[in-house]
Amino acid sequence: MHNNIFFKMAASYGYEKVNTGPANMLYFTITIAFLVVFQPKDVSSNQEKVEEFFKSDHTNNWAVLVDTSRFWFNYRHVANVLSIYRSVKRLGIPDSQIILMVADDMACNPRNPRPATVFNNANQHINVYGDDVEVDYRGYEVTVENFIRVLTGRLPPSTPRSKRLLSDERSNILVYMTGHGGDGFLKFQDAEEVSSVELADAFEQMWQKQRYHELFFMIDTCQAESMFQKFYSPNILAVASSRVGEDSLSHHVDPALGVYVIDRYTYYALEFLETVKPGSKQTMSRFLKVCPKDKCISTVSTRTDLFRRNTTDTLLTDFFGGVRNVELLTETISLKKKETNVKQETCSQDSCQKLDANKKKFTFPDQFPKIYF
Amino acid sequence: MAAYCCMNVKSFLLSLLLLFTPSSAVGRDEFTEELMIKPLSGGFVYSHFQFTTKWNASIHDSKTFTHFHLFPKSLGEVLKQYGVQELHLSQTQGLWRHKLWGYPVHDAPPGAELWVWFKPSVKDVNSAWTDLVNAVSGLFCSSLNFLDSKSTVIPRRNFQPLGVTSGPVPRYSVRYGSLPKEIVCTENLTPWKKLLPCDSKAGLSTLFNAFLFHDANYHSLGLHVRPVCADDSCTEEAIELTQSLSVVTDVISTSLIGSPNWQLKSLFGNHLASYCPLATRSLIMVDITSNKNDSLFKLTPEPTITHTVFRGQEEHSYATYDVRSMLQSGRAINVGLTYSNNQKLIEATPPPIHAHRFITGHGLEDGGVSCLISNTMPTNQTISYMDVLPWFTRVKFSSLQVTNNGVNVPYKTFYLPAKDRVRPHQLELTFTLWAKSVTKVHFTFTRAFLKWTEYPPDAHHGFHIGAASITANIPSSLEYTAPGQTSSQLSSIFTEKPSDDNPRFFLRIHTETLLVSLPTPDFSMPYNVICLTCTVVAIAFGSIHNLTTRRFIQLDPLKKKGLLSKLKALVAKLRGGQPETKPTSETQQGSVSDKKTEDLVDEEEEKS
Repeated sequence: MHNNIFFKMAASYGYEKVNTGPANMLYFTITIAFLVVFQPKDVSSNQEKVEEFFKSDHTNNWAVLVDTSRFWFNYRHVANVLSIYRSVKRLGIPDSQIILMVADDMACNPRNPRPATVFNNANQHINVYGDDVEVDYRGYEVTVENFIRVLTGRLPPSTPRSKRLLSDERSNILVYMTGHGGDGFLKFQDAEEVSSVELADAFEQMWQKQRYHELFFMIDTCQAESMFQKFYSPNILAVASSRVGEDSLSHHVDPALGVYVIDRYTYYALEFLETVKPGSKQTMSRFLKVCPKDKCISTVSTRTDLFRRNTTDTLLTDFFGGVRNVELLTETISLKKKETNVKQETCSQDSCQKLDANKKKFTFPDQFPKIYF
Repeated sequence: MAAYCCMNVKSFLLSLLLLFTPSSAVGRDEFTEELMIKPLSGGFVYSHFQFTTKWNASIHDSKTFTHFHLFPKSLGEVLKQYGVQELHLSQTQGLWRHKLWGYPVHDAPPGAELWVWFKPSVKDVNSAWTDLVNAVSGLFCSSLNFLDSKSTVIPRRNFQPLGVTSGPVPRYSVRYGSLPKEIVCTENLTPWKKLLPCDSKAGLSTLFNAFLFHDANYHSLGLHVRPVCADDSCTEEAIELTQSLSVVTDVISTSLIGSPNWQLKSLFGNHLASYCPLATRSLIMVDITSNKNDSLFKLTPEPTITHTVFRGQEEHSYATYDVRSMLQSGRAINVGLTYSNNQKLIEATPPPIHAHRFITGHGLEDGGVSCLISNTMPTNQTISYMDVLPWFTRVKFSSLQVTNNGVNVPYKTFYLPAKDRVRPHQLELTFTLWAKSVTKVHFTFTRAFLKWTEYPPDAHHGFHIGAASITANIPSSLEYTAPGQTSSQLSSIFTEKPSDDNPRFFLRIHTETLLVSLPTPDFSMPYNVICLTCTVVAIAFGSIHNLTTRRFIQLDPLKKKGLLSKLKALVAKLRGGQPETKPTSETQQGSVSDKKTEDLVDEEEEKS
């Protein structure tokens, strides 16, 4: 029986790969090689092999979290993106591997009666902004151009590391977007929009440039499903807060702020993520069912056909957690201070004085130079 | 498995590295942490945290930035890469009110300000500046990368180097830029505090409380790097890094009972329970200059030592607490101040020079900028004024007036007009403020039209204009808090040696930023126009097309019937109803015309 499953999965995997293009022939060959080399003999060892096969072999995790909405009444979108930021940071992705884009300042907004905080709840349940936050793109920097550039890596040479997505072919990337959208587009700052086709092309470019191993795309906006319908690159798992033709709704209003605090889908996603610990065995399939229709009101839709693994075998921490292979050494290393030869002054007292006198003297410049004043 | 091997190799390399590191580099830098608290008028309290790292190495030496001890590596690498000699960055939220609060240690305009002196060896300063602002914005999570040529100037008379130099400096190696709209929040504090040797794990930085800081009336983060003298002889250079955090808290309104008394716990939400072990000195000083004869307030606990120093003619008193010795001998420190009479607080003393700048005029076509600069001293004072305006406020240089009580004041000027979308207007003036008077600088401008893609998403908010700066060497140290030029450490005030009998105090203050509304189009207009045009075209085109392309033929309804009308008649018959009885004239007309159109349709169909 195990054999059957194994063959079925492997075959379908190979078939899919062949279909996706010649670039993936390699996978097909590997699959064939796998079939040839590991002809099942022993059931238990075979089972291990199967598990090994479906284990994610990524070595690093990245997250691109984008809030595209400006203005105070869009407080909830900032709370959305910071909820995910909080979770991925808590589960182990370091700030250096999180690209956080926030289009407006809500925490220190003069309208915020509780400065330097963004809460996910009117009862101030969780301060998702925290006191250790690093925002990489903010305000006017959050544009479609910058977003696409970050994904595809086409940034000016002087762009600092913190603003770059330095992922490789072994990176699992979480892309989270929130804002106001429609059928096939997502608005950026009420001024421009990214279309689903542009986004799909950007992901394809990432794939061709070997910038990801697996990508989990999450979007909380109206008609969110339309944003991932055009995807055609492999190894993408996608979830959206609503179907085409449906609105994504906000959760509740905070009378002290006067605005809606958070969107439904992200609220329940955060509620779920709060229960997850870094070593957790929670799977993606659980996460994809996180907000049933009676809670979300909109229908959460997913896309798994591009993803080669089964979501029931995929750990949540493959995308939300950070991989850090650390080996603790048991042997002791003694660090000895190396004796350094201090350069002895070779001059006599007189010559030393002379040397000192010859040395140029540093001075504080006049703040009002005579030549100008 | 491969990863593990790598780890082994790495740790081996690391140990090798540690083994062969020259020990001479270690211990060459000295770190001090200081907190100065100054009670201000009206129950406000000014807290200034300052962390100074002095590194006995030359910033001009290429080998300097190869090994780091207390100096932050991430910053050192940036300084080295872009050939920086001096860097001054401030990120501020709120406006410092000079008239009420005196002078801060580091004056900063609202928003972000960055000015940098590059080494004389840097050939292409413009590209170095572009790259540097990107690097600095990455380092501090700020949007400094918006400091492009449109908002950057080369100050010609102001912003001389504050650090030591070995000779004249090339005039074009300096760049100044400010972003008046820049937001400062926890995300800026986080990377800033990570540059401290003890982070916020120990020492005065454990008092950092983002929630209380951002609830304050004024909040400013500063970072200053400059070369200073390594010793008194000043034949060797040292690098001085000063990180400062200033907060002005309104104690009365934040206290639940409206009391002006405060403690560290009420200001920062915590006692001070530790000192940074890497610091050579941890100091809290309270400026008690206003507390003549202990009549106004009392400090608890008793200070370690009280310093009284004369700076110029003015006396300054500081109660200092040596954090290290106090913590070693006792409990957590909670310095507090209690007024003897809650109704009798410190009164505001206007400082020697203060300024107020504002927009004049109305409408969306013209406008003006006025700056009132007050001199409260009994002597004349020469100052330098610098104003940078964006290109879209087209300054009329001919309208520039410097007047004092209606009398024109002579001035020297440097003015560089803007180029559209290339560089801003730059105005530098030098003139004398007459004793005890107010001088007014005024000029007018016209507002330019932007291209529609140049408007920001929140164009109706208006456009910010950066603060003007006023520079002077004043003879009075009234309300002056900054230490002298030789050292940035606050405690150096106690050991300051006046160079002559008439010491001068270097002062640079910033005015308010301005908000200008530009003529902003209705951005939904193109959409409306498209909709309207389409409707008009559809209606006009449709009917005209109909009229011009169709052939109208008069048919005799009795003579020949179309297939469709025949069918209709048949259906009507089958329904059993009587065929139309004598119709009224109206219906008759209608039926006739119907038939006509039916026939016409038939003809059309046939044609196609």
